[in-house]
Amino acid sequence: METEIERYRKPTRILHWIHAGAFVALFLTGLILFVPPLGFLAQDSWTRVIHRVAAILFVVAPLIYIPLNWKATLRGIKDAFSWGGKDMGWMQAAPRYYFLSDEEAMPPQEHMNTGQKLWWLMVIVFGVIFAITGVIMWFAKTAAPIALLQWMVIIHDVAFIATGSMLFVHIYLSVVHPLMRPLRTGAWSSMARGKVSADYARSHHAKWYDRVSKEKEAELH
Amino acid sequence: MADKAILYDATKCTACRGCQAACKQWNENDEVIPEEENGVKSVNWGSYENPPDLSPQTWLKMEFREVEREGKVDWLFTRRACMHCSDAACVKVCPTGALYHHELGFVAYDKDLCSGCGYCVDFCPFHIPRSQRDLLTGVAKMDKCTFCTTPGLDRIAAGYEPACVKTCPTGALIYGDRNELVAEGKKRVQSLKTKGYSNAYLYGDKELGGLHVMYVLSDSPEVYGLPVNPQVPAAAIAWQDVIQPLGWAVGGLTILGLGLNYLIAREAKLTKELPGKKEE
Repeated sequence: METEIERYRKPTRILHWIHAGAFVALFLTGLILFVPPLGFLAQDSWTRVIHRVAAILFVVAPLIYIPLNWKATLRGIKDAFSWGGKDMGWMQAAPRYYFLSDEEAMPPQEHMNTGQKLWWLMVIVFGVIFAITGVIMWFAKTAAPIALLQWMVIIHDVAFIATGSMLFVHIYLSVVHPLMRPLRTGAWSSMARGKVSADYARSHHAKWYDRVSKEKEAELH
Repeated sequence: MADKAILYDATKCTACRGCQAACKQWNENDEVIPEEENGVKSVNWGSYENPPDLSPQTWLKMEFREVEREGKVDWLFTRRACMHCSDAACVKVCPTGALYHHELGFVAYDKDLCSGCGYCVDFCPFHIPRSQRDLLTGVAKMDKCTFCTTPGLDRIAAGYEPACVKTCPTGALIYGDRNELVAEGKKRVQSLKTKGYSNAYLYGDKELGGLHVMYVLSDSPEVYGLPVNPQVPAAAIAWQDVIQPLGWAVGGLTILGLGLNYLIAREAKLTKELPGKKEE
């Protein structure tokens, strides 16, 4: 049997699914406001109620996750904000890799490659922006200065455009791109069971693979 | 069809507030009776103004101002209700199309379509639309003057003037073709000027592309508590004319790019796999 390596622990997987579901619900109920012919779907505020329920999940899920998973949180935040020359190498090699299946110039990657790290950074930054602007629009609607509310709408929308577009890229690169045969590269198994094949880990995340292999060896001795 | 409008002559108004009552009665807006714990139902705050503010049930309210001019105190009256702008910020920001320009020029709305987002409340330069809001669920409905075009209560379609105009005993409110009312308003302003009111002004002739409720004022707008040169807020323009089109462009190009990538990458992968490429 093929050897497998744990890529995501159970709490992380649960958080991912809750966040993904909440974000899609938030995305769709928000998108309606960009498409006037669909405006009738929002009448009598019911999409706004769904938006609020999903918003609670979106904010509360990580707030529960963080104190229960301190170490993973700190490591994740540190990863999101550490950028360096090796990321330039990925960016230079990425077009040839994703368009021409040319892996030659692709430098070895850590647990997250540079593209995944960019999306992760956006999730953190825009997640906080969404939460702050959203809470103000929700609870301070009648109390906050009107100019503030106007800008909250605009900032919330800019975050929506940035993350909404990147959501398509994220889903596409995980399960649709011709190189990503989901079952083989492990997108589904890493989302569902948290495990990927050792082959996949070695070819796509060599630095991470080396690191965990060494850790395992050290444990054995 | 020629635009219709209301002309309000502040110098003819006696502030009887008949228009307020007629507005409520015709549009079936219940009176709000403030209730307080100690049984006091209203508070004297030194003015004949009542109720205290516009609300979802109060679409029209008369305001009273005591202004000192040349050593004399003048009692000035301002009509506060939707101004029915040609460049209406509320129509611009309404995401569901509930607010729209009526074929006769003024700003009407389809209350069923209102999602309660409250953007019109936040962006109106006159701060007119109001909504009843459940702060927890966000469920809300906006209300404002409909120019008496509420479905089932549509006086305009029936060929009548709005209820406020109908009831005005002094002729301070008149209804008609906007062009004719602009001419009439200018005539009255001219006559005020010859009587010594050198700052007399026709408010709404030019403001926001032309308002469909215009005021003949004996002094400059700020004296009557009206914004001088009101504008659609810059944030509304930035949002609707820049950010939303940008959003469509970014989103559209992203999806287009991904589609192109799929076609090219699949082709490249197939060519590579032919000579027996190793497993990735």
